Amino acid sequence: MTTWIDASCILIVFSSLAILATYRIVGIIRIFTLQAFVLSLVPLFLHADALSGRDIMLSLGTVILKAALVPYILLWAIRHISMRSEVKPVIGLGASIICGALLIAGAFWISLSLTLPGKLISDLVLPCSLATILLGFMIMVTRTRAVTQVLGYLVIENGIFLFALSLFEAMPFLIEMGILLDIFVAVFIMAIVLNHINEEFERTSDTLIRSKTGERL
Amino acid sequence: MLTMIFSIFLHWLIVLLLSPFFVGVIAKVKAFFAGKTGPSAFQPYFDLVKLLHKKCIYSPSTTWVFRLAPVVSLGATLVLSLMVPLGLFKAPVQFPGDILLVVYLLALVRFFMISASLDTGSSFEGIGASREAFFSCLSELALFMNFITLVLLAHSISLSQMIGADIPMSWRLLGPALLLVVASLFIVFLAENCRIPVDDPDTHLELTMIHEVMILDHSGVDLAYILYASAIKLFVFAGILVPIIIPVQTGHPTKDILIFLTGMTGLAILVGVIESSMARLRLNRIRHLLLIAFALAFFGLVVTLWRA
Amino acid sequence: MLFLVVAIPFVGALAALFPVRKMFRLWLLCAVSFLHVLIVASFWTHLPPSEFSGYLVLDSIGLLLLSVTSFLFLSVSIFMVGYFKHEQRRNRIFVTCLLFLLSMMTLVSVSYHMGLLWVAVETTTLLSAPLISFHRNRESLEATWKYLLVCSVGIALALMGTFFLAIAAHDLNTLFLPMILSGASSLSVNWLKLSIIFLLVGYGCKMGLAPMHSWKPEAYGQSTGMVAVLMAGGLTQCSFLALIRVSQICFKTGLSDFLTSIFLFMGVLSLVVPAVFILSEKNIKRSFAYSSIEHMGILILGLGLGPVGIFGALFHMINNALAKVVMFLTAGSVAQKYGLSRGNDVQGVIHVYPVTGVFLIIALLSGTGMFPFATFHSELMILNAAVISKHYALVGIAVICLGLMFIGIAKNVLGLVYGDPTKPVLAKKEDFFMNVVIAAAAVALVVFGLWMPTPLSKVIHEAVVLIGA
Repeated sequence: MTTWIDASCILIVFSSLAILATYRIVGIIRIFTLQAFVLSLVPLFLHADALSGRDIMLSLGTVILKAALVPYILLWAIRHISMRSEVKPVIGLGASIICGALLIAGAFWISLSLTLPGKLISDLVLPCSLATILLGFMIMVTRTRAVTQVLGYLVIENGIFLFALSLFEAMPFLIEMGILLDIFVAVFIMAIVLNHINEEFERTSDTLIRSKTGERL
Repeated sequence: MLTMIFSIFLHWLIVLLLSPFFVGVIAKVKAFFAGKTGPSAFQPYFDLVKLLHKKCIYSPSTTWVFRLAPVVSLGATLVLSLMVPLGLFKAPVQFPGDILLVVYLLALVRFFMISASLDTGSSFEGIGASREAFFSCLSELALFMNFITLVLLAHSISLSQMIGADIPMSWRLLGPALLLVVASLFIVFLAENCRIPVDDPDTHLELTMIHEVMILDHSGVDLAYILYASAIKLFVFAGILVPIIIPVQTGHPTKDILIFLTGMTGLAILVGVIESSMARLRLNRIRHLLLIAFALAFFGLVVTLWRA
Repeated sequence: MLFLVVAIPFVGALAALFPVRKMFRLWLLCAVSFLHVLIVASFWTHLPPSEFSGYLVLDSIGLLLLSVTSFLFLSVSIFMVGYFKHEQRRNRIFVTCLLFLLSMMTLVSVSYHMGLLWVAVETTTLLSAPLISFHRNRESLEATWKYLLVCSVGIALALMGTFFLAIAAHDLNTLFLPMILSGASSLSVNWLKLSIIFLLVGYGCKMGLAPMHSWKPEAYGQSTGMVAVLMAGGLTQCSFLALIRVSQICFKTGLSDFLTSIFLFMGVLSLVVPAVFILSEKNIKRSFAYSSIEHMGILILGLGLGPVGIFGALFHMINNALAKVVMFLTAGSVAQKYGLSRGNDVQGVIHVYPVTGVFLIIALLSGTGMFPFATFHSELMILNAAVISKHYALVGIAVICLGLMFIGIAKNVLGLVYGDPTKPVLAKKEDFFMNVVIAAAAVALVVFGLWMPTPLSKVIHEAVVLIGA
């Protein structure tokens, strides 16, 4: 089972890198769907020898919420936009990919000094989740389109969720479902605000607008 | 000594006999996807024989570099094929560090091809030369990253050991990292052998050619040498890739040869499928694709170091 | 009882979703918040028992926050009765979100499980976002987006911090606060430190501490006064409660030096940054937002200065909420009277609306901590604590920054109050409901500034002991 968990972790990091390397919004949403689907398989892999109803519920919840509903909501929010790719990213694609690779290395380097207590099924979960979180931050920071920023936030949440899966026992099931639901509601509200933004502006434009005092986000 | 020479010649015989076949397989698969019957899989052999009979035409603006390039390319490729194990047949020449020699011989071939195309004095070939030079920077970077990972995995710097018996154990222990290496090597494979999505081997439009445009001025025997060299390069790269993907060593000679040949043919069919289903990328996207290959290889290296 | 106090606003929110008349919804809001205040007032006589096997517990710290929340919602609901008389927009989503927000903020005050605390804080973030863009124009949508993204990322970091806390408490295998506190010696120090940093940054984002404050001027400047009150007086203090819980764990584990140095640093930064920015700010709501950042800095500073400072910080929590009621509700009523698009060129309010003009002056004085308002005393207590612990440079910086804040806000408020009167959009009538709320808050501030009631000081003392510095 360790190989399957390892493969899922690496696939999740790779999909985050792929999101970083894609400009087209629909493409990013598809890659995210793949990432969410792989993420939902991880609880099953982690407890393959003793599957409980809780693992199956968590998997199912993740699939339905993250892999099905969230992409649907995001595609609904951008249904009227004609321009479906990134216009002016902060750093170009090539530089993003290299930075992404360096961030992955950085995440592994950080994990060297963090030792998780308890028995570990796979030691790749911690560095891969940290790498996903860092890559999600990078997506959020370097993109100017609102939808891509939401997707960056979702990648961060995926990384945190992957990290949480190795900590099953301390977190009660209810809280985990609460976290999942919260993330879903967050995306829901973001999509609605996005929709309002689209109606107000003609298309989702640059959100790095200078405020009145000259501050930039 | 005698066995050494015998094994070298046997190795060359296999390489020379088998490599054009796989080029033909790719062309056949593409024709199948296009709904055509297409040329037979052995057509490259006939093409090579035909070219060997023809006379070389040299432009008056070329110098000895132009005439030297095809010879160097075929010669260097044959030499480097000696260091690549092909399934059951162990590489006749193996020593620690032969992987570097392989990469540098490839670079030598590339250097002479670029020089020859610049030598013609035509800007047409100049475009191809500059593109080739640029993309090879990135693809060699990715290639080196992959080889560093394989070196760390196999604990030796000899190509035969790297893709030898250690790999089956490594798949179990380090499957995902090897997955990344395979993915990255596959992209490099497509790039080095001028396949779609990096380069279109069939096109003759100025804006889209990379490799094809460099050899535009060669003819006759020279062209035969160059085509042969690229076929051997394809064969050699596939020979490096297939043992990593299918690391089976049953010990039974016939079975091993069969598995190896099936793997090579499968890889050729896969390349044909990819060529038929994708278009060639925009030129600045190729740069990103190769950077992704580098990032994958880098990630694989990081995971290998983490597990070590 | 605890479940009731969370559930009643929740049920009220569901009821507000039905298509009823606008005014009916507002009276529902008033009724629910009045009921909420009654229940919370009963808690002051004796604390209710814990429910749901320890998930919901009310201690003194939670009681303070709960009372603040209750009072804020009551004042907002009464204010809204007056505000919506002149407002054309439908208020269904607004009132529903407000009631859900009340329910979730109550949940923050009573949750004793760190995971549940996180869920509640995240939900308050999500629920307050649609409130900011009530007027649906470009600037408010942009402000909502900034707020939503910055706070969501902050909350994600806080989630990571919570998970690190769970790892630190791996031997205890729980995230219940009392169990963590009792088993504090078995927590792994490195993971705890990491978790503290993430929790501080995450919840600090929500609080609006510098350098995570960039969403505040936009969000408070663009939202209506009522929403700004709830966010400045309620939501930020909810995240302050989360930070108090974190510091409880730290003080028990013996990491007080580590924590206090971080708190002092963040407090000073949150004092200096708004002082720099406010001098060039011309919009009144945005300057009040900078004042909110500064007050958050004072709160954090107090938390890091020992028992005296913590007492001052908890007292300041209450006074800050009251002062924000005065400040933002007055700004909101001015904005409604003069039309929202006028922005910065309004002048001479006191000649047209004398009561509102006086309220603006009171807002200036209470918001910047002038005698006899209670904010003066709480800020003095905290500075006193700094002198006691010999952080003299800190006192100097704090005083300078507070002075700069006063200059900045006074410039805007006085420019608004005096001068040639500009013509208002609405009729020249002051509204009773709006004014009575602001007056009540101002009176409460003066009362607390001159005399601290014994029950209040008792509860704050208990809270300080619970925090255990």
